[in-house]
Amino acid sequence: MRTVTWIQRAAVFAVTVVLIASLGAATVRGAGEPVKNPETFVELRFGDAVSLDPALAYDIYSTEPVWPNVYETLIMYSGASLDKFQPMLATEVPSLANHLISADGLTYTFPIRTGVRFHDGSVMTPDDVVYSIRRFLLQDQAGGPAWLLLSPLLGVDSTRDDAGKIQVSFADVARAVSAQGGNVVFHLKKPFAPFLTIVAAWTEIMPRAWAAAHGDWDGSPGTWQKYNNPKTEDRYAFDHMDGTGPFTLERWDRQAKEVTLVRHDGYWRAPASLQRVVIRSVTEFAPRRLALQQGDADLVVASLNEQSKLRGIPGTVLQDNLPQIAVQTLQFNYKINTEANPDVGSARLDGAGIPADFFADLHVRRGFAYAFDYAANLGGAYAGRGVLPHGPIVQGLLGFDPAVPVYTTSREKAVAEFKEAMGGKLWETGFKFTIPYTAGNTARQTGAQIVKDTVGALNPKFQIEFRPVPSSTLNSLLFAHKGTMYFLGWFADYPDPHDFAQPFLSANGYFPVRGGYRNPQADRLIGEAVGTADPAKRKALYKQLSMIAYNDLPYLFLVQPVTYYTMRSWVHGWYYNPIFPGQYFYTISKR
Amino acid sequence: MTAVRSSTPAIPLSRAPRAGRTVETGWHRTLRRFRRNPLSVLGAVIIAFFVVLALLAPFLAHPTERNPFMIPHSGYASDPHPPGPGHPFGTTEEQFDLYYGVIWGSRTAFVVALSVVATAVVIALLLGSISGYYGGPLDELVMRVTDIFLAFPHLILAVVIVAVLGQSVRNAVIAIAVVEWPTYTRLLRGEFLRVRDMEYVQAARALGGGDPHIIARHVIPNTIYPMLILASLNMGGIVITFAALSFLGLGAPIGYADWGQLISLSHNWIVGTAGDPFTFWYTLIVPGTAIFLFVLGWNLLGDAFRDVFDPRLQGSR
Amino acid sequence: MTGFILRRLLLLPFVALGVSVLIFSLLQFLTPAMRASLYIHDPKQLNALPDIIRKFHLDRPAYVQYWEWLKQVAHGDLGWSETAREPVADAIRGYFPATLELGAYSFACILALGIWLGTQSAVHKDRLLDHVSRFTSISGASLPTFVWGLLLLMVFYGHFGWFPPDRLSLAAGLFVRSPGFHPHTGLMTIDALLNRQWWIFWDAVRHLVLPVATLTYFLTAVLVRITRSSMLETLRTDYVRTARAKGLAQRTVVDKHARRNALIPVITLAGLLFVGLLSGVVITETVFNYPGIGRWGVSASQQLDIPAVTGFALIFSGLLVLGNLCADVLYALVDPRIRLQ
Repeated sequence: MRTVTWIQRAAVFAVTVVLIASLGAATVRGAGEPVKNPETFVELRFGDAVSLDPALAYDIYSTEPVWPNVYETLIMYSGASLDKFQPMLATEVPSLANHLISADGLTYTFPIRTGVRFHDGSVMTPDDVVYSIRRFLLQDQAGGPAWLLLSPLLGVDSTRDDAGKIQVSFADVARAVSAQGGNVVFHLKKPFAPFLTIVAAWTEIMPRAWAAAHGDWDGSPGTWQKYNNPKTEDRYAFDHMDGTGPFTLERWDRQAKEVTLVRHDGYWRAPASLQRVVIRSVTEFAPRRLALQQGDADLVVASLNEQSKLRGIPGTVLQDNLPQIAVQTLQFNYKINTEANPDVGSARLDGAGIPADFFADLHVRRGFAYAFDYAANLGGAYAGRGVLPHGPIVQGLLGFDPAVPVYTTSREKAVAEFKEAMGGKLWETGFKFTIPYTAGNTARQTGAQIVKDTVGALNPKFQIEFRPVPSSTLNSLLFAHKGTMYFLGWFADYPDPHDFAQPFLSANGYFPVRGGYRNPQADRLIGEAVGTADPAKRKALYKQLSMIAYNDLPYLFLVQPVTYYTMRSWVHGWYYNPIFPGQYFYTISKR
Repeated sequence: MTAVRSSTPAIPLSRAPRAGRTVETGWHRTLRRFRRNPLSVLGAVIIAFFVVLALLAPFLAHPTERNPFMIPHSGYASDPHPPGPGHPFGTTEEQFDLYYGVIWGSRTAFVVALSVVATAVVIALLLGSISGYYGGPLDELVMRVTDIFLAFPHLILAVVIVAVLGQSVRNAVIAIAVVEWPTYTRLLRGEFLRVRDMEYVQAARALGGGDPHIIARHVIPNTIYPMLILASLNMGGIVITFAALSFLGLGAPIGYADWGQLISLSHNWIVGTAGDPFTFWYTLIVPGTAIFLFVLGWNLLGDAFRDVFDPRLQGSR
Repeated sequence: MTGFILRRLLLLPFVALGVSVLIFSLLQFLTPAMRASLYIHDPKQLNALPDIIRKFHLDRPAYVQYWEWLKQVAHGDLGWSETAREPVADAIRGYFPATLELGAYSFACILALGIWLGTQSAVHKDRLLDHVSRFTSISGASLPTFVWGLLLLMVFYGHFGWFPPDRLSLAAGLFVRSPGFHPHTGLMTIDALLNRQWWIFWDAVRHLVLPVATLTYFLTAVLVRITRSSMLETLRTDYVRTARAKGLAQRTVVDKHARRNALIPVITLAGLLFVGLLSGVVITETVFNYPGIGRWGVSASQQLDIPAVTGFALIFSGLLVLGNLCADVLYALVDPRIRLQ
């Protein structure tokens, strides 16, 4: 290579200058600047969708585009309310008053709206409604949401039994949901108070002809078993959508992790204001913030410990303290599987481990409950964003009662309880165990640190460690009953106290199945509370259940978290309903 | 790194011992050559500094947890805090003390690097000696197996192994050892091949010495220098790989005193706050400098070892 | 030569088999419940674990699962990647161009910069340029790629805002995915030029600067050192001294005589460079959130997406074998002594 001549040097210099000049530093769009991309709304969030099929999608990232933006249900939550409904694809909300709910609570009749067109142009009929709901029940993918309707309608949690064999018949399903004239009628096995609220969120309607034309079940009785428990990729509806909602799916780019919706001009109500909606998944926080700052994104979702970095950006609004129907808990495992278990030490009460029934002792549990520093957890792990719950029935639900007692931090009481624990032997012997928590989850890590610090301070023989594990390992531990204490959260499937009482306190609820808690009285009360429609009666029953949760202490209820969204100030018409998986773009406009 | 072989090694006349001077012994000559190069001295000084840091860790930074490798943290607030009283280097996310992390991180670095080297050397001694000494189909088999392992880019193999075994320091060490053993094995095998045909080994065989005896007494001691060179050049690389695994969330857990882990915590804070992007500079710069100096020291030292010990490079430079 | 190439190409299926066996044997360490967790996003789905295990045959022994996988591959189906939400083959096809673009630009920069700097360093030995380049190369080899990348991000993105992470800005990305843009090659820079969208070209270049700088630094450092010592070697040889004695200009000596021979060890190193590039790509893509194969491979590994991990590992090892083959062919072309073998 020849020595670089001065001409070449000058050229390189000039090019560099031009390059840098054309880049421009990041500009911050302040308030009062013109709206960027007025026809397109861009939302940036963390996770990406797993499937766009309403019968299979169960996590919030999948259900955000699905409901209520592209697919719609029979009835809808009225504005920000959790217990008032308005008609949607049905023309009336069934109630005892208008006799669309039978007196015995076993029959629900929904008159179906006419003149509604799907995105493909076809007209919606009660047959489509029936097909969609039967499809939801019968496809029943492992880990999917089908149990939500299977439980009240057919009395089972799955179409398959424990050995994997089909345990329902088409006749059962046909009886449970059928079309009668211009109505769709549901027959329940037992009265079920939250039925309407489940219908509001989980009965998305799609056209039968469209599904059948693309390889899906055609609705006939003889073929449904072939379509049961599908693999995600086997369905056309996995990445194609055809509903009645104000937006249609333009495309789902799975590599860019981007779902693009466009306005449906033939919507049965007034068309939406936005022409295009882009929902993009960006795992890194910094680009989300920068995009908001520059006006390229209109709304970003971020976690609680990132909020400090989103305050004070010019031209943006931070909608804070949005309540969530959710609760974070610390759970005790009553019957630990001590075989090949690294977390239980010697597996005996000898100061170097814990026995399998360690947490079955109420005094042990009370000791932990009085020792834990709830305020420090809320302040440190959740940045103070949230409230301390009064048991499993959280604020926003029918039956929430602030008079239900809570455990408060009290060192003396904790010491007293531990001194009585394990027949009085625990205080002298001591114990040692490890808490596994989800790696990367700083809130849970802080919680584990607090347990270790507070309990460890009571007695030097109380040794607690904690270790991070990937969620796959945690699931494996939960599955094998090997964990000692678990940090687990629960987010509402539907805003009814049954969705909290049952998973926490019923013998076959999710958490007791993992942890081993049993109380037949609770089971009875849960059954009663869900079977009656009388709100006053239900309130009283759930109050009793809250007291059981307090007295039996199978869990420490740590935090009812709040959430927040940050958006540009040119966003109008946004409103929040805790049950929405994401944003409802129909009412949003940019100006 | 391949050593460059010159076709005509030039022997500068200036190296011939001057008349009248006593002939220096091997070690003195080695040490003098070592001292002559300022970069080698710098490398040695840096490594000595880190050795002292690692040895004195319990005194320089008192452990408060049962496991001294877990960094203590004061309080639970999530934002990092700048250097100040009580925290000479500041704190990173979740209030982990950076000073403690740097001090004990040097211990972690040595433990990890030495464990990996030890494991790789043990495997290499076993496989390399058998393969090089006996040759034949056994040799072929070992070579093909090393081919397969070398067909994997290092980091990716390590990522896959740790992902399967689960995230922990121990598993990360295993993963890196699995990545490194082929290089050591091939080196040792090459040395065995070279030494096997030397006269004194043949003589020993003729005298009836048993094979393991010969391997242990004659062959292995002569292969120490190349292994030492490889190991010292490798130490830095191992620490970088371990740090990379921690950065990807596949190495040391959060709160562990490891430089890579501390850097991974800084990833969220490099854009600072809305007003000042450098607000949290220390979360990156502090552990980054530690790792840089450590690896630099080993690279310089490894270079120096190679210049001094590798007989093939004598006379050229 | 052709025989040589063919023999090396025969290595490919052998390596692929070995790599896949290696991965599936690692499966022994995973419980079926852990693998089933790939399909679960919330503890409320835990009851479905036995169902999922049954559905995907996760409780069968590893060798049975391997046999199933082999049969599948024989039909051209690499399986479904749950993390990518699409077939493994599609995911690879989709992510590969981004990595190719990053890798190609980096490789070119490494070669150009490394050889030039190494040569100049040797020619002007012990002068300022030499010291600067030697210091840079030593420090480059000592700084982990991700630390360097984060530093660059902090300064050039956090502070100046010039070079953002990811592959394209939001606006450019939306345009590229709209019907008005025709992706011909999948390489953003080339496609932007072919579509005559200059602003997208600049946007893509802007986003490539930092990842390329990060990936290049470490390997350029290595290359400079090798080139330098090799060049020093060559400059000291008899034929160079002869050329100088004949009165030829320094430039001619360096260009025509020294460099060709000095580059021989560099080419042998090209294979090593390629390996380093493939490893470095994984870290660099993660630091800069660059949507390539490396980043996908890491997240697939973290979530135990075994079909994806296997596909990813196969691609990389295949690339490695091919890369080494190219390096060997080049070596044979440059060094006449090799050709005779």
